[in-house]
Amino acid sequence: MGHYVVRRLLQAIPLMFIISIFLYGLVNLAPGGPLAGRGSSKRLNPEQIAILKRQFGLDKPVCVRYVYWLIGNDWTKPVEEIPKPSVGVFAPIIQCLDPRSYLLSESPGVGKGVLRGDFGNSYRTRKPVLDIIKTSFKNSAYLMSITLVVVAIIAIPVGVISAVKQYSIFDIIVTTLSFIGQAIPEFWLGLILILIFYVWLKNPLTGDSLLPPGGMYTQGMAFSLIDWTKHLILPVTMGVVGWVTWYSRFLRSSMLDVIHQDYVRTARAKGLTLNKVYFKHALRNALLPLVTIFALDLPYIFAGSLYVEILFSWPGMGRLYYQAAVDRDYPMLMAILTLITLIVILSNLLADIVYARLDPRIHYD
Amino acid sequence: MYKKNSWFTIFGVLVLIGLLSSGCSTGTATPTTEQPGTAPTEAAPTEVTAPTTVPEKSQITVVIAEDPPTFNGAINQSGFDTLVMELAMLGLADLDEEGNAYPELAAELPTVENGGVVIDEENGTMDVTWKMRQDIKWEDGTPVTANDLVFTYEAVVDEETGYWIPGIDYVDGVEKIDDYTAVVHYNVIYPGYLTQFGGYLMVIWPAHYCDAEQGFSSWDCGLQPLSNGPYVLKEWVQNDHLTFERNPNYHEAGKPTIDEIVVKIIPDGAVRKQMLINGDADLDMWTSENIVAELKDVPNVEVSLSPVDRWVMRIFFNLAAKGTTDPVATPHPINSDLRVRQAIQMAIDTKTIAETFWFGYAKQVWTEFFRPPYNLCDVPQPIYDPEAAKALLEEAGWIDQDGDGVRECHGCTTGAEDGYKMEMEFITYSEYGETLDLTQEYIAEKLGEIGIKLTISRVEGTVLWESSENGGIEQSGNFDFDIWDDGYSGSDPTDFLWGYYASAAAEPDYGINYGRYLNPEIDDLIDQAYTLDEDLRKDLFCQMATILNRDLPELLLFTTVDANAHSSRLQGVQSNANEIVTWNVSDWTLK
Repeated sequence: MGHYVVRRLLQAIPLMFIISIFLYGLVNLAPGGPLAGRGSSKRLNPEQIAILKRQFGLDKPVCVRYVYWLIGNDWTKPVEEIPKPSVGVFAPIIQCLDPRSYLLSESPGVGKGVLRGDFGNSYRTRKPVLDIIKTSFKNSAYLMSITLVVVAIIAIPVGVISAVKQYSIFDIIVTTLSFIGQAIPEFWLGLILILIFYVWLKNPLTGDSLLPPGGMYTQGMAFSLIDWTKHLILPVTMGVVGWVTWYSRFLRSSMLDVIHQDYVRTARAKGLTLNKVYFKHALRNALLPLVTIFALDLPYIFAGSLYVEILFSWPGMGRLYYQAAVDRDYPMLMAILTLITLIVILSNLLADIVYARLDPRIHYD
Repeated sequence: MYKKNSWFTIFGVLVLIGLLSSGCSTGTATPTTEQPGTAPTEAAPTEVTAPTTVPEKSQITVVIAEDPPTFNGAINQSGFDTLVMELAMLGLADLDEEGNAYPELAAELPTVENGGVVIDEENGTMDVTWKMRQDIKWEDGTPVTANDLVFTYEAVVDEETGYWIPGIDYVDGVEKIDDYTAVVHYNVIYPGYLTQFGGYLMVIWPAHYCDAEQGFSSWDCGLQPLSNGPYVLKEWVQNDHLTFERNPNYHEAGKPTIDEIVVKIIPDGAVRKQMLINGDADLDMWTSENIVAELKDVPNVEVSLSPVDRWVMRIFFNLAAKGTTDPVATPHPINSDLRVRQAIQMAIDTKTIAETFWFGYAKQVWTEFFRPPYNLCDVPQPIYDPEAAKALLEEAGWIDQDGDGVRECHGCTTGAEDGYKMEMEFITYSEYGETLDLTQEYIAEKLGEIGIKLTISRVEGTVLWESSENGGIEQSGNFDFDIWDDGYSGSDPTDFLWGYYASAAAEPDYGINYGRYLNPEIDDLIDQAYTLDEDLRKDLFCQMATILNRDLPELLLFTTVDANAHSSRLQGVQSNANEIVTWNVSDWTLK
């Protein structure tokens, strides 16, 4: 197993590299740009645009920018002016192939590059993107991990009971609710929750709204578990609905496969109670594929949910990414995408490891 | 037994991995105490603070959609940065709701009459002497002086780290005369000089506090400002809220009266509105027309409307063929005929649009000169008359001979081939929202009725307004017919007029004359308008109004509302089309 993990980690390096090229190209070549609308409507002429481009590091072709993003540009040699090829459709390609484009710089480079832990500065705030991401990353992880825990707590028993009581009233109700849950648009559900718990329902003692409309805590109030819990209820509910229906349906299906297998019949023939048969023998095997899916869903914990974060004013990664996309904040976009890519790769590896750990039939070595 | 335990262990690890990695996030969400000189996002010190809602402390909550990028409104110009900048920072002068300038850091407004402005008619230059108040201090007790003005100017014009601001091209230098006097040397006569270092975008930055090496566009003091305004930044929790405390050393005696202002980031407009209704917010910035209409009957909410409108919804005709930028060599096959533009104007029912989609808050506008003090020109209001529009199109050689409802060129004079269909793409930007979307659809329908087929497109603003070099739609001339809004801040429209109507501004990336309107008469009038002779300016602007009304390079439709909704308990809020709503925050009171 150890060799397998090391091999996979080594394979992840070129994979990350290839993905980063793809992402960098996609982000930088998308229509629009960070300079659109800057300088308002007046006399921001091409010379001034050129200054801004230099400040943003956009004065180089994409290939050079990618290399600088990766390994930094603090090693470049400052010169008065870099000779540029004549303007034409092939000019960017010529510049990409010309080593002087990489080695020379019209202003001293300060970037250390991603490989040295420097993701650059945000175009929006001009501050290091990692400093900005750090807070949002934690906030999303906090909200989404609690959401996933609640999903697990609800989905597992519901899925199991639906399977063992197949076609019962409970199963029919759960099936119906699952379809409704899958069909409800997430954003609409959030608005309805706010309407019910913030607008309509009031605390009979204080007259205040039953639940807050958003935020992580009541500003200005000392830490209170009740306050934090109240702020979590609506965003977690909004996030849980879709996932519970998906997980419970998956577990029901998986459980149905398992409980009709010979070893379950054998266990029952041995005289074990139904609870022992279902929860000790069947569930363990039924959960195997679910755990894999769960591990693959781990990136969502860190990527956040845009709708939940917007509607409930949660300062997480989803909002940060959206803002960066709107602003064409390339360093911020690249940092978020790179981190999520890394987490996806590691989650895949984790899924494989967990699967092998739980199922003794699987060997990777 | 081992297997059973390991299974539960692994499962437990999986579900708790996020919790563990987040450390339950207490550190990030609990209010952080910022120290001057450190970026808020880096401010790690975290402690559980004691409740700050002391009963006798007055506090209001302002809700806005986005975290301000910085406190420097000139850089991102998001409006959210300006909102917080106005709470803590002052410029030399600012603009009131009528567009009149008033001094902030300046002791008085420099004018020709008081000797503050000296014009060199021969060379076409001028010097503006700013005398600054001597009783204003930064929050650390350092006086605000002419050094700060010179420092700010030098930071702005630094090639490596500076940033372009309106009018800065006209400034040759800023010279300190004494601690409280400085002269701004202009290389032209610049009518907008009063808001050069003030107004909507600019403030004066502290020379002793900001790091010149970090530069105007990136310095830390843009994130952790040293206040000389009515409020001092107490804390900034990224993407969540900012808290401001009353500046006890604010120079206006007895002001501000509200002790604390919390600016909360609430991205969703429906939630912001509901917080205002529920009494959980006191001010919702930039209230749109539909929300204004909804809130008008809510008892505990009031809406402040700006007495002067700024933003004009307008249609841009591309006079050059789509994808080109030379209207003479490659005229647009449809728009280049004035009769077509006039027909389009006659076919749009602006009154219905204003009343239906803009809830009666939009006001019809048909000239750039609708705002005081230049609303003196006699420009006739266009009349909605689709039948006359059809007749005009027939006269222009656009006739629907095949009966498919879309006119074709049969003798048109634009250079289009015979049979060329009267079909165009109709673009707007997607961020504005439903009101503009409906307006766009309605206009397309109305023009469809007179035989002009429009295909609706919506694109991101960043794609629409990107530079020509990067393929921006407007700058590249890659459009037929667009609709969006713009207007100038303050009372001086000269730069704005240059940007939209001067021939030089039709050059890709040199201005915003996207329609490529070329008229030497207008160029000459704009050049002449760079004067401080107000009577002459009024005359020149009326001449321009007549020409623009004759040529119709743009079709001005209506103004959009500049409104801010606030709780009834918050008094003194005055929407100001020339400024952000916090421009007069020191006058706000709670009842």
